[in-house]
Amino acid sequence: MEHQRCYIYDPDQADGRSAKRQRTAKLASQAQLPARLQTYHELWSLQNQRIQATLEESEKVTQENIATFIRRTTEGVRDDLAGIPSGLIVAGPSIASHGPFFDRLGRRIKNITDSAYLVLTSGESPNLKTLLKNLIKKATSRVDDDDEEDLGRPSVSSRNAPKLLDFDLGHLQEWRNRNRVQSVVVVLQDSEAFDSGVLEQLVELVYSWRDRLPFVLLFGIATSAESFEDRLSGRTTRYLEGQKFDVTQSDEIIEKLFSAIVASTNVPLRIGPGLSRRILERQKDHVQNVQDFSDGLKYGYMSHFYANCTSIFLKDGLSFEDVSPEIFEAVRNLPSFRIRVEMMLEKSETNEIRSLLTSDQDLFQDTTANVDQGKQILYALSSAAIVFARLRHSLHVSPNVPLSSIWIRAASGDMVGSPLLRETMLSVKKLPSDKLDQLLTAFHGLDVTYFPINLSAYHHELTDLLKKSSSSTPLRTQHDVRNESLRTTVVAQKVLLSKHKANLSEEDNAYSDLVARLHDELDEYFSTTFIDPRALYLSEVLIYDLKSPHTEVFQPKPRFAIERALASPHDYLGCECCGVDNERAEDASLASTQPATAILYQLYLESGAIINVSDLWSAFNTIAGDAEDENTESKTMALFQRSLAELKYLGLIKPTKKKADHIAKAMWRGL
Amino acid sequence: MLPDEIMQRIDREFPCRELQIRHLCALFSPSLPAPSLLVAHGLTATGKTSVIKTFLSLAEIPHAFINSRECITGRHLLERTTAACLDALDGHGGEGEGKIDRRPYARTENINALAMNLQRMLENWGQARLVLVLDGIDAQREAPATLLAALARFGERIPSLSIILITTLPPTTLHKPGTPHLHFPAYTRSALLQILNLHPPTIFPEPPSLEQYPDYTPDLAAEDDAWLWNRFLGAVWDSLSKHTGRDLISFRNTSMRLWRDFVRPITDGTFGTRDFSRLMVNRRHLFQGEEAVLDRIISAPDPNIAPSANGLPSTPSTALARKTKTIQHDLPYYTTHLLIAAYLASYNPSRTDPTYFMKHTDKRKNRRRVHTNNLTTASTPNTKARRIPRHLLTPSPFPLDRLLAIFRALLEGPVPQVADVAGGQAGGDVLEVGGRWRVGFGWEWVRGLGRGVGIEVGEYLVGGVEG
Ligand SMILES: Nc1ncnc2c1ncn2[C@@H]1O[C@H](COP(=O)(O)OP(=O)(O)OP(=O)(O)O)[C@@H](O)[C@H]1O
Ligand SMILES: [Mg+2]
Repeated sequence: MEHQRCYIYDPDQADGRSAKRQRTAKLASQAQLPARLQTYHELWSLQNQRIQATLEESEKVTQENIATFIRRTTEGVRDDLAGIPSGLIVAGPSIASHGPFFDRLGRRIKNITDSAYLVLTSGESPNLKTLLKNLIKKATSRVDDDDEEDLGRPSVSSRNAPKLLDFDLGHLQEWRNRNRVQSVVVVLQDSEAFDSGVLEQLVELVYSWRDRLPFVLLFGIATSAESFEDRLSGRTTRYLEGQKFDVTQSDEIIEKLFSAIVASTNVPLRIGPGLSRRILERQKDHVQNVQDFSDGLKYGYMSHFYANCTSIFLKDGLSFEDVSPEIFEAVRNLPSFRIRVEMMLEKSETNEIRSLLTSDQDLFQDTTANVDQGKQILYALSSAAIVFARLRHSLHVSPNVPLSSIWIRAASGDMVGSPLLRETMLSVKKLPSDKLDQLLTAFHGLDVTYFPINLSAYHHELTDLLKKSSSSTPLRTQHDVRNESLRTTVVAQKVLLSKHKANLSEEDNAYSDLVARLHDELDEYFSTTFIDPRALYLSEVLIYDLKSPHTEVFQPKPRFAIERALASPHDYLGCECCGVDNERAEDASLASTQPATAILYQLYLESGAIINVSDLWSAFNTIAGDAEDENTESKTMALFQRSLAELKYLGLIKPTKKKADHIAKAMWRGL
Repeated sequence: MLPDEIMQRIDREFPCRELQIRHLCALFSPSLPAPSLLVAHGLTATGKTSVIKTFLSLAEIPHAFINSRECITGRHLLERTTAACLDALDGHGGEGEGKIDRRPYARTENINALAMNLQRMLENWGQARLVLVLDGIDAQREAPATLLAALARFGERIPSLSIILITTLPPTTLHKPGTPHLHFPAYTRSALLQILNLHPPTIFPEPPSLEQYPDYTPDLAAEDDAWLWNRFLGAVWDSLSKHTGRDLISFRNTSMRLWRDFVRPITDGTFGTRDFSRLMVNRRHLFQGEEAVLDRIISAPDPNIAPSANGLPSTPSTALARKTKTIQHDLPYYTTHLLIAAYLASYNPSRTDPTYFMKHTDKRKNRRRVHTNNLTTASTPNTKARRIPRHLLTPSPFPLDRLLAIFRALLEGPVPQVADVAGGQAGGDVLEVGGRWRVGFGWEWVRGLGRGVGIEVGEYLVGGVEG
């Protein structure tokens, strides 16, 4: 493994490297890319606004609590034995979102309270001295001069009076005398990654300064407040007096985001159910990260507008002149177009078909109208999903199914006839009047654009009924089990169970009738709106639900790719020299024409856990070297060294002390 | 101020330290030459800092007070000492005199420079004596080895300087016989009670309104507070603090933590203010748990769960609530497994990996074997080394490939190639080749994690852990 660097400059005579197979053939359909790009920008910026608004909304409460906590520390006199006010902010396991979170928090705290807000990360704080220097630097925005760094003293000092060392909190005190802030908030963003010794020293120091500097400590915590506390010694915890703040769980935020940008009504381009499910699963199994979630959606939007030229029809106010002829050709090739034409054929609407196939103008009219209509249908579908989720919520039907999964089911066309729907409708049927009253009240303020049922009429009717009703017990429908009693009779030693309907009062009858009408209307509503969107004409334009580029981008298989590239480079290079012949003779895959690293890798695969380097070299030399020409040996050696270094870089081999002149395989393969 | 007056003033504020105050008065009496060095020592919270500071300012002796805790390095201590002494001299300068020219004192690189600086500034200073207090000097970070010995010799070179060193234990490296020592012994039970009785907390968070209870005057209330608090303190001491946390501050903290709960029946109106024995019986559970002696960052009990129905013990329920809240955030599925794997890699010795994680060995059989092994060793009394359960040891570092191998073994079914390491658990550069990792979380947490995904982590830990 000991090797020296060497360079051999030997420019290729042939023109460059073997041509890689181009993954994407030049597509003719890049028609009007700029226009699509612009449409993408318009649509996505709208979505992005929604994302930001949702995030801010979900953090607002926590942020305000923290700000209040900080403000309260400055009010009133503090007991001189009381600890440093400190907030334990449980910000969740996704470290990547902590930074932005504390940024937003800082902005808010500075807005609401009169305080300095200083964020420290573990990277900036390997030891107490550096931590303090950074803290002071951040507070005073002092420029660091590197002279006499080790002594920690600015160089100008010798001429003047004694200066404070640059990790002396006296700087902060001076600065505060000038700036008069109420409190100094110090944030330890990733407090769990701090060395606990440093943390304890810091706490002790801050405690000792608390009569001169009004510190407030905020600890960002990924796991739990308890495990953070357990890491500190009892003495340190005594110096702290804290409160815990929970940031909204990221799965809740994800659910909110999903409702806002995928499942809400006014979304021109839908991310389809398959992709949505994939993205949500990824959140559950792999990463939990808001940023990643919205990136996934954004990538979906980008892919749609980039790769699908018919997406231009999503543009607002499109006119015929804006659309080039290729795009009409593309529309005519859409699967849903073909299906439609076939259906029209069955109805022998040949004239219409002809006009769609021959006249771009007619096709334009038809397509824009259908896109609009499709949008409306999808809006209605999403709206129905929302109504359904709210219905379940106010009925308290268990299990609790979140809107995201309701929407995904609806968008896959699985809703009609599903047990979920049936069960929910059944409980509507049995609803007693007090629950119905609550339910109708809960539906106040519903966006009724796509909701045909006049609920307020029902509500009026119900109130009238209730007024008339004399008894204090709620009215019940005929389907309510409490109106049935089981009657057990023993006939010829057999037990007969028979249901017996209690006599319904007049009000109950009227009420039953009302509920039955409501039930039927709802049922009708759901079964007409929960269509299968994938059967929708032009669903290719309206819905993006492709698995392919998404999985490769968000769930790549880097190791698999590297191993495959090394084991069979031909798959990637597509060159003639090593591919074609060898494809038939499976075992003879080693060839001198392959890249040196690939050769070495294949030799590596054949050897045991510990490899003798000189054996490896001779094997390598037989394949890659030129037996006749002695002069090329140094060149082969250089290639060998480089390949070895590359394998080491990839983490496949490592030096070993077990045996001289040997290297060890890292236990990666097959993992 | 006359010595007697000072005595009284300090004694009122800090009772039970008469002896120490008397010594201080004698040592620093204006009529006698002050000692050049004094060592004050005593355990934590015995009033060393407060008494000496109060004494020096009441006796109007020019002094500089340096807290070693605030000094990050030895050099820092020296610099701060110079600056503090200059401040002290400036503060005590006569009317007409201007401030001291500080330019010559720009640097104090080492202990010798400090001696020179002090010498120089005191030479030009008219008044008698400067007292330099170095508080907690034994805990100074990055202190030079000779610091104490050198400080002890300062008196020889600088006649008008007195140094007071405050330490926890009497220093052994002083090398200066005949130095006066002032010991601050730990307080006895009665002393603690007397001190804490100076400021009893109130029984009623808000004083009962005078209109409603015209006879319950503030004086009467204060009397009740003091009476009950005193008895309560005695009970806390005898049942809890005697055994752990005997110093003043721990005792005070423990008592304050229990107080509100203790007097709740009174504020509820169930008992009168003087029903001490009935209160004791009713609230005896407070004195049985360990909750109160533990220092916690989040001390204020959650108002939503705290008061259970009166008379019922509320401590166990809050403890339970704390336990159940331990896992705050659900981690993604694979991340959870990865963390568990990391925990196992850190706590199991690598040679046992085949036993626990090989695919072809029957895991359960092996586990049982290890388990019974352990049981027999534990039950036979003559085994030499009783093993400490693994999870109580410190984690050891492990290489990344081992982590992945265990990760693989834990999961059933195919493993996807990407999983997000919930970073930050192990420090260091993630991509460093051959870097070694170590987990930063504890047993309780990982057990909770494991249960979340249906893995009993204890079964995989060498030696096994029950529960
Ligand atoms: N005799 C006393 N009377 C009243 N209060 C006291 C007495 N002794 C100590 N205290 C109080 O206890 C607290 C701790 O005291 P102090 O800081 O002086 O202790 P210390 O010996 O310097 O401790 P450490 O060694 O930890 O620095 C202070 O708030 C002080 O007011
Ligand atoms: Mg002290």
